[in-house]
Amino acid sequence: MIHVPAPDPFTVFGLPRTLDVDEKALEARYLRLSRECHPDLHRSADTGDCVAVLQRSAEINDAWKILRDPWQRARALMELLSPGVLDRNKKLDPAFLGEALELAEEVAFADQTAAGNLRVRLQAAITLDWTAVGKALGAGDFDAAAMCFHASHYHRKALQDLDRKS
Amino acid sequence: MAYSDKVLDHYQNPRNVGSLDKNDPNVGTGVVGAPECGDVMKLQIRVDDSGKIVDAKFKTYGCGSAIASSSLATEWLKGTSVDTAAQIKNTQIVEELSLPPVKIHCSVLAEDAIKAAIEDWRKKRAASQATGAGAGTEVRS
Repeated sequence: MIHVPAPDPFTVFGLPRTLDVDEKALEARYLRLSRECHPDLHRSADTGDCVAVLQRSAEINDAWKILRDPWQRARALMELLSPGVLDRNKKLDPAFLGEALELAEEVAFADQTAAGNLRVRLQAAITLDWTAVGKALGAGDFDAAAMCFHASHYHRKALQDLDRKS
Repeated sequence: MAYSDKVLDHYQNPRNVGSLDKNDPNVGTGVVGAPECGDVMKLQIRVDDSGKIVDAKFKTYGCGSAIASSSLATEWLKGTSVDTAAQIKNTQIVEELSLPPVKIHCSVLAEDAIKAAIEDWRKKRAASQATGAGAGTEVRS
């Protein structure tokens, strides 16, 4: 089962549960929330308050880590909207998996020129995956969104491997 | 996490890496994935008329345990009958490779790949029998 911390990151930040967020506004909100409950500002408070502030501060940091990363945010969002949906949709089309395997091989054997082309292709694929996840979520088709999410992981991993090579 | 000697051996000298022609009517192909870790495993078997697996190949993109599990699976498959192969359980792979609990899913993936390959071969055979399997009958996957 995919773990999403409680309270969930969207609630911690007081944001609606949406896939796309304004990243600048998100960071500004993170800084404001952090300032508001910085432990140093609450030293004079009694012990009970101190514990509450520390806990809130930890929640804000955990939520920030998830929300700032688009794919972690997507993952948390899907689990919140339809708990267990990622586990239920782990069986991907064998034809797609075959392509993923070929992609991994391409990455492994790519020389510098090939790597450049491959990077562009992978980035394009990841952008398409993101759009597909958004579209499926918008249509309320959580199963399809989960499958697109899983498929995208192969593209993201291939890109990571490619970046690690250079 | 330390890998067992057997895992390392399969990882460093994987057996039966490669591909068989997936359009060959006697070849069964199974491709399975574990999207949470981004692993893919392709396992193929070639079966003779008596139902014996005469060749097995694999290609795996994943961690050492996933590679070792599929490599070991191809070793076990070669020379055995399809019916016996269908009985292979992931727990046997776990035992042979001394896989730790966090890597058990790799053995599950190998079992799934074996089952998918057998299923693919069975489907092809059923299709060729249904069409009469006469000389020159083309079977497409």
